[in-house]
Amino acid sequence: MPEFSLVSTPPLSGTDLTFGDSRVTSPADLAIVSFALPLGGESAAKTAIKSAYGVAVPDVGKSVVAKDEQARLVRLSVDQGFVIFTHDTPDAERVVAAAIKGKAYTTDQTDVWCALEISGPSCRRALERICPIDLHPDAFAVGDAARTTMEHLGTLIIRTDEHTFLLLSASSSAGSFLHAVETSFQNVM
Amino acid sequence: MSQVNRINGGLIDRSKVLNFSFNGRNMQGHPGDTLVSALLANGQTLVGRSFKYHRPRGILTAGSEEPNALVHLRSGAHQEPNTRATVTELFDGLTATSQNHRGSLEHDLMAITDFASPFLSAGFYYKTFMWPKAFWEKVYEPAIRKSAGLGRLSMKDDPDRYDKGFLHCDLLVIGAGAAGLSAALTAARSGARVILADEDFTPGGRLNSETLSVENMAGQDWARMTVAELASMPNVRLMTRTTVYGAYDHGTYGALERCTDHLATSDGKPRQVLWRIYSKRTVLAAGATERPIAFGNNDRPGIMMAGAVRTYVNRYGVAPGRDVAVFTNNDDGWRTAADLVARGVNVTTIIDSRDAPAVMNIAGVRHIRATAVMDTVGRKGLKSVTLTSGQVVPCDCLAVSGGWNPNVHLTCHQRGRPEWRDDICAFVPGGPLPVGMAVAGAANGSMTLGAALAEGHAQATAQLDALGVKAKGDAPTAEDEPRACAAFWHVKESTKRAWVDQQNDVTVKDIKLANHEGFRSVELLKRYTTMGMATDQGKTSNIAGLAILAEASGKTIPEVGTTIFRPPYTPVPLGALAGRCRGEDFRPYRLTPSHKWAEENGATFVEVGNWLRAQWFARPGEKGWRDSVDREALQTRQSVGICDVTTLGKIDVQGKDAAEFLNKVYANAFLKLPVGKVRYGLMLREDGICYDDGTTARMAENHFVMTTTTANAVLVFRRLEFARQCLWPGLDVHLISTTDGWAQFAVAGPNSRSLLRKVIDEDHDISNEAFPFMGCGEVTVCGGMPARLFRISFSGELAFEIAVPARYGNSMMDVLMEAGQEFDAVPYGTEALGVMRIEKGHAAGNELNGQTTALNLGLGGMVSKKKDCIGQTLSQRPEMNRDDAIRLVGFRPVDRARKLIAGSHFITHGDDATMSNDQGWMTSVAFSPSLDHSIGLGFIKRGHERMGEIVRAVSPVHDTEMDVEIVSAHFIDPEGERLRA
Amino acid sequence: MIINHPLLGPRDAAEFIYLGDASLIDRPGWEDPDADEKFYEYGYLRDNPAGAHQELWYHEQGDRSWLVVTRNTLSHEITNVELARDVAKSRGRDR
Repeated sequence: MPEFSLVSTPPLSGTDLTFGDSRVTSPADLAIVSFALPLGGESAAKTAIKSAYGVAVPDVGKSVVAKDEQARLVRLSVDQGFVIFTHDTPDAERVVAAAIKGKAYTTDQTDVWCALEISGPSCRRALERICPIDLHPDAFAVGDAARTTMEHLGTLIIRTDEHTFLLLSASSSAGSFLHAVETSFQNVM
Repeated sequence: MSQVNRINGGLIDRSKVLNFSFNGRNMQGHPGDTLVSALLANGQTLVGRSFKYHRPRGILTAGSEEPNALVHLRSGAHQEPNTRATVTELFDGLTATSQNHRGSLEHDLMAITDFASPFLSAGFYYKTFMWPKAFWEKVYEPAIRKSAGLGRLSMKDDPDRYDKGFLHCDLLVIGAGAAGLSAALTAARSGARVILADEDFTPGGRLNSETLSVENMAGQDWARMTVAELASMPNVRLMTRTTVYGAYDHGTYGALERCTDHLATSDGKPRQVLWRIYSKRTVLAAGATERPIAFGNNDRPGIMMAGAVRTYVNRYGVAPGRDVAVFTNNDDGWRTAADLVARGVNVTTIIDSRDAPAVMNIAGVRHIRATAVMDTVGRKGLKSVTLTSGQVVPCDCLAVSGGWNPNVHLTCHQRGRPEWRDDICAFVPGGPLPVGMAVAGAANGSMTLGAALAEGHAQATAQLDALGVKAKGDAPTAEDEPRACAAFWHVKESTKRAWVDQQNDVTVKDIKLANHEGFRSVELLKRYTTMGMATDQGKTSNIAGLAILAEASGKTIPEVGTTIFRPPYTPVPLGALAGRCRGEDFRPYRLTPSHKWAEENGATFVEVGNWLRAQWFARPGEKGWRDSVDREALQTRQSVGICDVTTLGKIDVQGKDAAEFLNKVYANAFLKLPVGKVRYGLMLREDGICYDDGTTARMAENHFVMTTTTANAVLVFRRLEFARQCLWPGLDVHLISTTDGWAQFAVAGPNSRSLLRKVIDEDHDISNEAFPFMGCGEVTVCGGMPARLFRISFSGELAFEIAVPARYGNSMMDVLMEAGQEFDAVPYGTEALGVMRIEKGHAAGNELNGQTTALNLGLGGMVSKKKDCIGQTLSQRPEMNRDDAIRLVGFRPVDRARKLIAGSHFITHGDDATMSNDQGWMTSVAFSPSLDHSIGLGFIKRGHERMGEIVRAVSPVHDTEMDVEIVSAHFIDPEGERLRA
Repeated sequence: MIINHPLLGPRDAAEFIYLGDASLIDRPGWEDPDADEKFYEYGYLRDNPAGAHQELWYHEQGDRSWLVVTRNTLSHEITNVELARDVAKSRGRDR
């Protein structure tokens, strides 16, 4: 037995707030791994990702749920995307690298981000106070994803359902991020 | 006193009574009232004193253009000066006090300035306080400051909250009057996403103030019905109490929503929200503003705009006077008389400047044609007016109409210039309009109701068409009322002061004087006379002012032109512009993974960019920060210290061409860096100046981990993306930031290896042989936890940096401290870090200050001449490679007891301390606990050749100097034996 | 301002960082015989047109792409937005 052991204390862990008809929670054990499509190896990488997750790599600004519903692929830019899935040990990058057979460059992003899931009919009204992106369903449909800035914090917003959004922001500023979201709800409730 | 002037009708709810006070007097009003309508109902016509002359002033308008009726609203910290009482919604418990007087409103001690007015003409301050020069600061400025300014601040922190937000729409309709409602209705019924914004609390615009009909029903009712329909539609956002104050690029608009200003308390909610509205298309239906006519003593309380008088009667059920006279140059003024008579208010006389027959027959009202008002009587309230014919007309209210100005403001925010239309004697929107904007109704010069409704519909239809949406429905219909107007700006026969801008106390004479003195451009006129400045921005005064300037200078009005309209349309509080960004919320904070541990262990924090970093960890008994810092540095050098260095930027660089890419962005070579090794890298700007430094580790053939300085993490990433996408798009290289992903700790000191040996799992050999200086690799800690280990040293000691996934960072700090107990390990903060790097002679931000080259830093040899890299070519320029270039060296005080001062300049002994003799400067200083004296780093010409020389370190800022000795920058372990141990 | 991103559609300019003249893509070759002169021009000399201007914007709070935006400096009208990577390649930058 090793003499010492490490305890995981992810930021925002256990967050569960209710504002009227809406709820703000921090999803537990959310793993994030980035993949980069090699120059000249794009199609090989896309094929490997498709065979691993059963869905094609989405277009930039879109996300798609894996066939087995255990992961979400998000395309962030021409050559980069995220695999987001639930996984509780610090080896998420290896899991993804193995699944796609090393055909894309992978980097563990789990601890780079903190996440909030925002759901409920009022959440668009609250997000209006911090999110410059048009979240009307005609402009931002289920599955759409956008990186933008909210209260000076870089944020990735994904619409996962009609009234549900997943927000990712830098883990070091998790406190400020939660404060921004919380204040938005308080201000509109 | 009860509501003596309250009459029947209006859009007020008489079933509820609201109590309020003005200057301590308790009064009553009703929901639907503004502060002004309630004051008028209670017979209060004197509401303030003027800015410059402290003239008694009343109420001029019924809208946001009001120049006079400005009050202090609320009390204590909530007190807000310059609140326009004409648009202040009445609430129960409202308190207001009048402004700009010493002593009471009725007996203002400063009214003496009015009698000194012959001396206070335009440019008075510019002319008078020029001489003697020495008097400005001590005499003139304090005196002027005391009497200047509109209203008083509470001098307390603003207790209210503010917020911001973002809205998107297909069509933004600005103004909910006849044209705006017509446009919004057309678009809404067609299914487009519509935002309809209006500054008023009851949408309807002039429909609420007039007795005209729409679709065969009362205009007020049609407005109410239309608003109800719009409010019920999910594709419409109806925003009342919302002023669209600015038109910005590409369909972006600024709007201020007053959420709780009409309530007694905000109840913890934002008082106002500043919206950024992104619209695909816009219809501006901002209406028009009525303008006064200038005549002698035209500023008496009781002299009001004719349209405003109608508003008070028709909308608020208040008679602004008992005996009313009307003075007009247009048909519209006649309707005031007609509406008042219909409500039983006594109108004695219509004075029309035109030599024309009666516009309409109004029983019992005398019509005097081709005549004007020349003077008035009644200092604190109008008693009578004197006509150019010499006739005196007794009255306590004079309704004045000089015609209507389309509210073109927002059409000009993108430098569009308005055009003059002779037929309505007014400026209308010219070109170019802001992208995507169309104008409808009175704002576009379509002054009659039928035309406004039709144009609102037509403009909305055209805007929808441009978006590919087919408009549904027909335009609402109404008759066009008579609106003929004849240009008439001021009464030449008046010998008394005739006010043009009542907010700034600018008279006709002032404008003529400005012209006489050569201020003939309208922009200069504004600055010289202050006409059109302050809270109302000349909404009632500008056009008359420039018409008078035109007349005086012999030009036409279009030749004179208008001043440039800029945002905001009406004042926007600074609190709203700040939004949430106040105090602790001014900007986001970034916390290191061990922040909680540091908090629990006595850390004092320092802001480093957005980061909060532990500066030092005080222990009981330590008297000041120096005690803590000295202890931390000494203990690290003697045994082992631990510092959270997570804030350094970390960039994951991967790709087949990653090494070649690094070779291009770093000045030194990276192509042949072996896997498992770290290298110090120096980045240059393209002009050859040093940009950033850090270490980069090769984790695998195609995988590097770069570190940057904390300050430049974002900038370096941006620049690498530029290099990758714009300069070398053919390289297979990919970047992603992992700064926040890894909790990284420096473990430094002779016992660092022994400490880490206890934490790193046994199967990893970290001996000097297996893991030498500048080695790196992936390891596991605490039984299988993945970690990264780098053998790098900023302190100059045997040292490592170890990184674990950030969520384990706080726990890792605990573990390292626990494992270090037997070595008396200390946590150290940024101060001890700084002390040790100065002792070791490492450059940091003070040295990499954007002015220095690799040569200056003593790193000239690192810039490879055998390869291309950013900055390589220009770094070779002769001037940057002079023999006498400054060099980074160490300094110590000759008198070791003295403290070096950063920023001191070096002067060779025997030379005067002048700029021409400047030899360089001290960049960083610290007290070295290891050497027990002050040490410094600095740049000095040929420093590397001057070891041992004594120079003067002069600090004119501190008015001090001392002798210092030039020494090696490596104060500790110059041979580097420790870090290789 | 609104920049119509070629992949993401219209986005607020607040998400972007401005760099300047898109001629910064045309970095000279370091071994050119007159490299000194070319780098001097590259580093210091810019056209400052009153009218159409090709300039570099970085979508930092977005997809991290560098864009070449053609903007009229008098009216702010944006007539074209391209990925800088594509522009660089089309100008012969293949390494």
